[in-house]
Amino acid sequence: MKRAFTVALREVRSYLQDKADLAFSLLLPIAIFALIYGAFGGQTSFSSTVPIVNEDAGAYSAQLLDRLRAMDNLDIQLLSAADANTKLNDSTLLMVTFIPPDFSTRLAASQPVQLTFKERGNGGMASQIVAAIIRGVVAEMNQSFQVQAQVKGLVAGQNIPDELIQTAVDKFVEREASAPLVEVAETTVGSKPDPVSRFLPGILTMFVLFAITLTAQTVVEERRKGTLERLLTTRLTAGQLFAGKFLSGLLRGFVQTVILLVLSYAVFQLFTPLSFLWALIIALVFAAAASALGLVIAAIARTPDQAIWISVVVTNVTVLLSGTFFTPAPGSFFDKLTHFSLNTYANDAFVAIISKGETIAAVGNELTVIAGVMVVALVISRLLFKAVPGGR
Amino acid sequence: MLEPFVVIENLRKSFNGNKAVNGVSFSIGKSEIFGLLGPNGAGKTTTIRILSTVLPPDSGDVKVGGHSLRKDPAAVRALIGVCPQELAFYPDLSALDNLIFFGRMVGLEGAEARSQAMAKLELMGLAERARNKVDKYSGGMKRRVNLAIALMGHPELLFLDEPTVGIDPQSRNNIYETIVGLRKNGMTVLYTTHYMEEADRLCDRVAIMDAGQIIAMDSPHNLKGQIGSPDKVTLEDVFLKLTGRSLRD
Repeated sequence: MKRAFTVALREVRSYLQDKADLAFSLLLPIAIFALIYGAFGGQTSFSSTVPIVNEDAGAYSAQLLDRLRAMDNLDIQLLSAADANTKLNDSTLLMVTFIPPDFSTRLAASQPVQLTFKERGNGGMASQIVAAIIRGVVAEMNQSFQVQAQVKGLVAGQNIPDELIQTAVDKFVEREASAPLVEVAETTVGSKPDPVSRFLPGILTMFVLFAITLTAQTVVEERRKGTLERLLTTRLTAGQLFAGKFLSGLLRGFVQTVILLVLSYAVFQLFTPLSFLWALIIALVFAAAASALGLVIAAIARTPDQAIWISVVVTNVTVLLSGTFFTPAPGSFFDKLTHFSLNTYANDAFVAIISKGETIAAVGNELTVIAGVMVVALVISRLLFKAVPGGR
Repeated sequence: MLEPFVVIENLRKSFNGNKAVNGVSFSIGKSEIFGLLGPNGAGKTTTIRILSTVLPPDSGDVKVGGHSLRKDPAAVRALIGVCPQELAFYPDLSALDNLIFFGRMVGLEGAEARSQAMAKLELMGLAERARNKVDKYSGGMKRRVNLAIALMGHPELLFLDEPTVGIDPQSRNNIYETIVGLRKNGMTVLYTTHYMEEADRLCDRVAIMDAGQIIAMDSPHNLKGQIGSPDKVTLEDVFLKLTGRSLRD
């Protein structure tokens, strides 16, 4: 086994010394990740900047702003009236909320008051959503003022300070808000509707499949350099040679996937430490199977072009059959075909861990199939190498 | 002849009906430098590929150090070193790393592989550039690395397939001196070349191959003596006389 490790180590050293190859294979996952981040960037819910002109210096406008600032998806931007009007005129802004100068005074006197949404056209969809959110916040404040007014009317003449009434009403409203009579519940049909967790499994399996192409070329490269024949005159057995190639292909496929997993963990927080470990195990077993499939191609390919093109065909067919990027209708012919793709099992396993929060025990069947394919591919590659001219 | 170390009996190998090696038999004594001469396509390289266990023969057998190539190829591999006609190493690695790698492939452990690799590079005059990548070497230096790799593990039988093709005189002389030195240390050498003066200078005995068969075999002196005065005729003349054509045809 020592010689197999030496062969694998030599392969890895060559890989590390080829700066272009190294840069490409390490930067590619990072570039793909940057694309995912650019496309989805963690922005999986609505968020917006809210330009506001606050012409009031009183407590109630401050209270309104505080309530708006407390909302995670809103970023409050305070502007002067002149600045806001200029920006509305040149379409830099599509909607600005104006708080009038007498906002707090009038509310304190229980008089009606009006906020103004000044819009360019219809303000756009984001502005309409922001306006709806502000209306909701204002409605809550309104409710509180109405209750206060009613309570003040009921206790008039009993010398109860306004501040006490206001504190009591605020607590009451707060309590009611925390336990409303009508609640809204959200349920999700299918997997978690997060685009990152939806696409990441497919991208991970794609990366692992690179191991097929990388491994497929290794034996033919030895043949091209003349080193294959030389190696076969040493004490290195064909089995050890294939084991070394298998290990190096596995390692390269795995390293690329680990980069993607680590970035997903760090940026999208898709994992817990344990689910990250499960994902690593799936990536390792899948990379091993991909490397073994690469060896089958390596055993029969006579030229680098043959190795590359056979790998491309195998990889594409595997991806297409797997339903990685679209889900076939259950029970359809295409659905049945997916069972013949290694990707299906790897993808299912990654989805179970990443999107559904399952444990490794839940993907035991998938891992067994992938490991089985690996063993069968290793045996076939060895038999094929024995059968082809120049093999042993 | 010296005690036989290699015994080849009626070796045959065909490719798509073409008889590349057609009933070849000869023996090589221990510590002998045996030359296999012939034009391109004569069957020299196929013979070496069979002897070095790369190709299985269609029929016949070879015994190296008493081990049958058919029955125990692993035992044969433990005794041989092969310097192929084409450069066969990893150009992206240094000469030292190449030698260490192939040293490990012939069973050397880490420290031993390293010390032997340095010793072989010293022998080939490459110690100063041991850590340079081989793809930066000149053609002659690459040839010397190719030979140095074959010496890793101190093989008892060394196959040299056209080791001096296309190299500068300095590298050629270095290779000659190395081969003579190896023989003094007890190594048996099977040497193929189509440079007749090279065979004349180095080989104890030569076999001339043509169309997959051995058409003459003796010491260079005796072969030349068959057609004239050994001091005046060359092995090229012998080949011309035997086959009716030049060695480089």
